[in-house]
Amino acid sequence: MKHRALILACLLSVGSASTWAADIASSVKERLLRPEVLRGEFEQSKQVNGFKKPLLSRGDFLVVNERGVVWRTREPFASVLKLTRDEIVATQGNDVAFKLNASKEPSVRVINGLLFSLLNGDVSKLGEHFKIEGEANAKTWKLVLTSRQAALAKLMSKVELTGDQYVRRIDIDETNGDKTSIRFSAQNSEPAKLSREEATRFD
Amino acid sequence: MIERLHPSRLARRLALFWLLLVLAIVGHNLWLWLGQHIKIDTDVLAMLPQDERNPAVQDATRRLADAAARRIVVLVGANDWPAAEKAGDAYANSLRASGQPLGLRYQVGEATSEQWLNFFSPYRQQLLTSEQRQALREQPPALLAQRAIEALYRPMGMPRFGQWQDDPLNLFGSWLTARAGESKVRLNNGRLALQAEGRHYAVLMLEQQGSAFSIAAQQALLPQLDHARTAALATGAGIEVLTVGIPLHAAAAARQAEREVHTIGIGSLIGIVVLTLFAFSALRPRLLVTLSIGVGLLVAISVCSLLFDGLHLITLVFGASLVGVAENYGTNYFSGRLGRPAEQRWAMLREQMPVMGLAMLTTVIGYALLALTPFPGLRQIAVFSASGLLAAFVTVLWWFPYLDKGEMAYTRLSTWLGSRRALWPTFQANAYSGLVVLVILGILLAGGMRLQANDDIRLLQNSPPDLIAQQLRVGKLLDLPGMAQFYLIQGRTEQEVLQREEALKAKLIPLVNQGVISGYQAVSDWLPSETRQEADAALIRQVVYGANGVMSHIRSQIGEDLPQPVADTPAPLTPRQWLASPVSEPLRHQWLGSLEGGFASVLVLRGLDHPTKQTKLAPLAAQLEGVHWVDKVGEVSSVMARYRHLMAWVIAISYLLVFMALSYRFGKRAWRALAPTALASVLTLALLSLAGQPLQLFNVLALLLILGMGVDYGIFLLEQPQREAIRPFLSITLAAASTLLAFGLLALSATPALRAFGLTMLFGIGLAWLLTPAFMPPNTSTTGKDAA
Repeated sequence: MKHRALILACLLSVGSASTWAADIASSVKERLLRPEVLRGEFEQSKQVNGFKKPLLSRGDFLVVNERGVVWRTREPFASVLKLTRDEIVATQGNDVAFKLNASKEPSVRVINGLLFSLLNGDVSKLGEHFKIEGEANAKTWKLVLTSRQAALAKLMSKVELTGDQYVRRIDIDETNGDKTSIRFSAQNSEPAKLSREEATRFD
Repeated sequence: MIERLHPSRLARRLALFWLLLVLAIVGHNLWLWLGQHIKIDTDVLAMLPQDERNPAVQDATRRLADAAARRIVVLVGANDWPAAEKAGDAYANSLRASGQPLGLRYQVGEATSEQWLNFFSPYRQQLLTSEQRQALREQPPALLAQRAIEALYRPMGMPRFGQWQDDPLNLFGSWLTARAGESKVRLNNGRLALQAEGRHYAVLMLEQQGSAFSIAAQQALLPQLDHARTAALATGAGIEVLTVGIPLHAAAAARQAEREVHTIGIGSLIGIVVLTLFAFSALRPRLLVTLSIGVGLLVAISVCSLLFDGLHLITLVFGASLVGVAENYGTNYFSGRLGRPAEQRWAMLREQMPVMGLAMLTTVIGYALLALTPFPGLRQIAVFSASGLLAAFVTVLWWFPYLDKGEMAYTRLSTWLGSRRALWPTFQANAYSGLVVLVILGILLAGGMRLQANDDIRLLQNSPPDLIAQQLRVGKLLDLPGMAQFYLIQGRTEQEVLQREEALKAKLIPLVNQGVISGYQAVSDWLPSETRQEADAALIRQVVYGANGVMSHIRSQIGEDLPQPVADTPAPLTPRQWLASPVSEPLRHQWLGSLEGGFASVLVLRGLDHPTKQTKLAPLAAQLEGVHWVDKVGEVSSVMARYRHLMAWVIAISYLLVFMALSYRFGKRAWRALAPTALASVLTLALLSLAGQPLQLFNVLALLLILGMGVDYGIFLLEQPQREAIRPFLSITLAAASTLLAFGLLALSATPALRAFGLTMLFGIGLAWLLTPAFMPPNTSTTGKDAA
């Protein structure tokens, strides 16, 4: 009957929908395409606190409205991270390395929603979780997100998004000193329908 | 025939003696009730024979029930969180504005989560879930390392505490996730929140203030909750408010009882008073009959509280009904008084004495037999009802002539009623009787074939369907473990309890995997035994940090020279530390602490939705030392079944003994007094089963009462079997009518137990009254004691 889980509750908690009314946010919102289907390549560099050199990885991603995200790493090893409404699954070949179900852990939806919003540049959704500041010139823009909630702020001290009609770069600073920087390229939204092969990635 | 018109000195002394005794008993009762010196026991299991009772089980169930007795959970739902939050806030504000915030827990500070993290962090190297333990034991370190690296490369991972290299497998983060997964409630914007079935809910926890069993406190609660609900619903469309908790069921039951007291109770009171007024053209008979029953009840309570440790609620309810047979004596006295001058009352009473004595004896026989059973509950009921009945009888005998001085002429109603006796046919060897016998046999056969018993106490579930529906819904939304069935784990030390819990969990995990249950909730998941903590710490040291362990694989794979963390193993987490910290709050009620000279805890299960599943769960307890499977519902139901069986035997033997007592007075005619009641009883059973009513303890209890009352009808009529005699038939008609008004009207009750009891009384007493005159000897216009 009682609440048993404040820890994770806090860490993964959903933000309030308090109003955010930054002009910059709405201007960025107008520029972003936010298509039904978004494909692209990524290059991720992660500097883990205490590691001498950053960890580099490359691969492609697929963001589909109402379905979720498939994040496929090619280098340095092949692995797939699938985030749907109901679960998070990480696989290496045929081996399921990690799986978390939303029915067991409701926060799965929040995590997935957050990543989805970051990749897709869903500024309104992000505004629920973060305070948004930023700057923009004729071609590009940059948003600096700081968590509205102490709980989330304990995990991520700062998130930066840079882009034009697409999000081109995400920089995440974690409170434990880890820094992740992801660069996107070759983004396209055509065809707007998933190919058969793409659809199977969600299965 | 009339020897003396005035009371003897002995009668005077007896009346005075009885007055002093009754005054003492009134005083005793005042002391008992006002001074709260009486202990009313409500646990049905306390009615089991002493040697079958497990005090630990009783104690455990009581403590669990106490913990739940005051708790109320409110879910305020909407399609999105902002709407749910707004409505939840409105609910909370309305409660706060009432000035009695009911121990509301809704807005929870962030500090709490910090507290949790700080509490468990020092022990992070010795806490593992069973899945983690299995993985560390069975999977090669190289594979674990590979997975750790995969997780490292993910753009977003699960929450992790501290540096990656301190816990590359994120064991602590996953352990906390597993603990958090035990509850669906999360924190959202500083409020308790639930997300389920596509909707968002604000979760409010309330606690009824004051005594958990205070009806006043329960009643005071409802308007507050209604206000708060209205406030929440007013915040927008599509808001849903679900409220559950034992206080609500209790309040609903109290409301219903109040409603029924107002309708059934007052209806029956008016009926009885009007009947008395018309029959005797005075209220005095009613007052005196009530006085006799009242004295009986007070004496019964005093005697029981002196003989037993406490009085059981069931004794009070059943015993009070059984004392109701005393109605017959008072009514018989006043029927005898009709049309006789007041000064003859002493003589009349002396004349009536043997008959009333026999009527009392035949009833007490049945009640006394209950005392021979090994069940303390039945013994208490026996002592209660026998002493109460005797006291009521004595009151009629020793007091009534003093208190009843007025003249009593026949009224039109009493003459009319009494003379109806002449219209009754008598069973004889003729075609008419043959037809009646055939009809009766038909009913008995049809009913007998459908007769079945059902002792499941859930049949007695009495809460409004809406409340039950909400309860089920909330239970499902929150995925709450059931509290009606659980494992009780006992040990000599706290550590032994935890170890035994761990042994039990090892047996439960396969059942979870097979889907028999969906999970369990155990203290040892949060507070492992010291042995388990040491073993887990050793496992982590060896598999993660040992030679050729996970860390060494990671080092070589990612080419980083990661430092070995300092292997500091703190002292194990102890029950004392856990209990002292707020982190134990959610599971604290499952830790019973010291119990029956040892220690104990409770392990509860999730997803135990079908009774057949219990057949797989109960046997586990037998395989493990110190583990008991407790099924409260099942046990109470089986207590009811055993009481029903015993009671049935008691009734059967009572019939035999009553027949012997009747034979002593009536000789060969004795069967005429008993047969109508016996026939009425079996017909009642047949009719009940034809009406689709399963046989329960409450029906059987009513049968004992029917025996006690019905035989009196037979005795009174058989004593003066002339068809023209007015008084006997008037007496039994008034007694039967009062009984039907008092108990038979309970058939209208919405409380299942009362309805079963009332319906049985309605059929049984009605039939006994109807059949008794027909069994009287034919053609007796004069007293013929030997006519068979």
